[in-house]
Amino acid sequence: MSTTDQNSQASDLPTTSEIPANVDNESTTHFGYKTIEKDDKISMVAGVFHSVAKQYDVMNDLMSFGIHRLWKRFTIDASGVRPGNKVLDLAGGTGDLTAKFSKLVGREGKVILADINSSMLNVGRDKLRDKGLVQNIEYVQANAEYLPFEENTFDIVTIAFGLRNVTDKDKALRSIYSVLKPGGRLLVLEFSKPEHELLNKAYDFYSFNILPKMGELVAKDGESYQYLAESIRMHPDQNTLKGMMENAGFEQTSFKNLTGGVVALHKGYKF
Amino acid sequence: MAPLHNQAVTKISNDLLLTQVVTATLELIINKALSLNNKSVSFAAVAQKTLTLNLAELPFSLSFTLDNTSMPASIIVRSGYEYSDCTINTSVNTLKKLKTNVPLTQLIKRDELDVSGDIKIAQQFSNIALSLDIDWQTELAKHIGDVPTHKLLQFGNKITKSLSSTGKQLEADISEYLVHEKRLVVTNSQLNAFNQMTKDVASEVDALSARIDKLIADTAGQ
Repeated sequence: MSTTDQNSQASDLPTTSEIPANVDNESTTHFGYKTIEKDDKISMVAGVFHSVAKQYDVMNDLMSFGIHRLWKRFTIDASGVRPGNKVLDLAGGTGDLTAKFSKLVGREGKVILADINSSMLNVGRDKLRDKGLVQNIEYVQANAEYLPFEENTFDIVTIAFGLRNVTDKDKALRSIYSVLKPGGRLLVLEFSKPEHELLNKAYDFYSFNILPKMGELVAKDGESYQYLAESIRMHPDQNTLKGMMENAGFEQTSFKNLTGGVVALHKGYKF
Repeated sequence: MAPLHNQAVTKISNDLLLTQVVTATLELIINKALSLNNKSVSFAAVAQKTLTLNLAELPFSLSFTLDNTSMPASIIVRSGYEYSDCTINTSVNTLKKLKTNVPLTQLIKRDELDVSGDIKIAQQFSNIALSLDIDWQTELAKHIGDVPTHKLLQFGNKITKSLSSTGKQLEADISEYLVHEKRLVVTNSQLNAFNQMTKDVASEVDALSARIDKLIADTAGQ
């Protein structure tokens, strides 16, 4: 079992001097650019999401200029979800993917919206109930590393903009693999490494100069959005994550860069 | 070069998520239209069923799934769906022909339309589209108010009436021309006959003139 986060791209970034070596040991991990005790990460990430939960959707629209909706649509299209499927929307937050999945699996199917953070889960549950989506959705507060479901339960597992906040990503991937049915697929939608240097620089400028100010202005929480920018840089690049999925047992793994690689959708199957 | 060009177009399309922009826009329009519909429509027959359209003009497929798990029922539009209940391969032009009641079998025979899966699904989706009855006046009034809606519709009616009367006048003028004027117009054959007669007269005049010249010469010689 490896607890090491690989990030071969981190040293290419223009803000290298600020980025700590991305090598975890047995007891430490990263929280943005900070190196912290592993046991502290869950509570620190929880702090961030308790703080931003209520403004999460507004901020997503603002920060991504609404493009996050298209990234999520792309994920739904790639999921091949069918009526009657059982779907786990992991780190599902305010339930954007769950809402769509719920309509596509129908009365025969089921969607589990799982999140480690109770505030996010509450916001998601209220939002979905307000939309009249109640029939086939269940809500579970769960840590991705220790999923509280039986083996071979789900046809599809998605984790959108959540994996980078997980303390031990390898463990989470193995846990996801275990709850997927044979033939099931995992979709990981996550910020990634832009393909072009120019875009990379513009993206860096935006993330570290504009994004925290927007967070300060709208959500009254610049620090959380500073963490968001840092956690994106610390997240494994496309090929590293693909390798991690393969190590966890996934087959036919692939990824698709979206918006020039700002975001990537990784896909893998359990056979 | 062509495959390279296609690859570049696909990459740009992927990067900008153009497919998702199209499906999101279509979904918004369709569901807005459904929500404004005054007639009651039964969705039960197509609940959770998917109709996929592969249009020759589009580089991606469009799948329409009807969801009735929540109220009101809605249609979800996606692309690249693999398990459709009915798939239609056709073009926008052929879809227009379908609207003008050209028989389906004729279009299939001519290879303009290819249907696989349950054709009833396609018919039921088509029935839903045809049964839409939207009161645009009431809907517009909700957004811009009663008076502007009244004025706008009055203006629209005026334009429609004016266009209609111009059309009717044009139609009457053409009929009048066809009934009265056309009879007075010289036809091609009449013109040809006239030309022939003129030529005949000219040649007769020439012959007469030659005979006169000959008679004068004969008289002068005697």
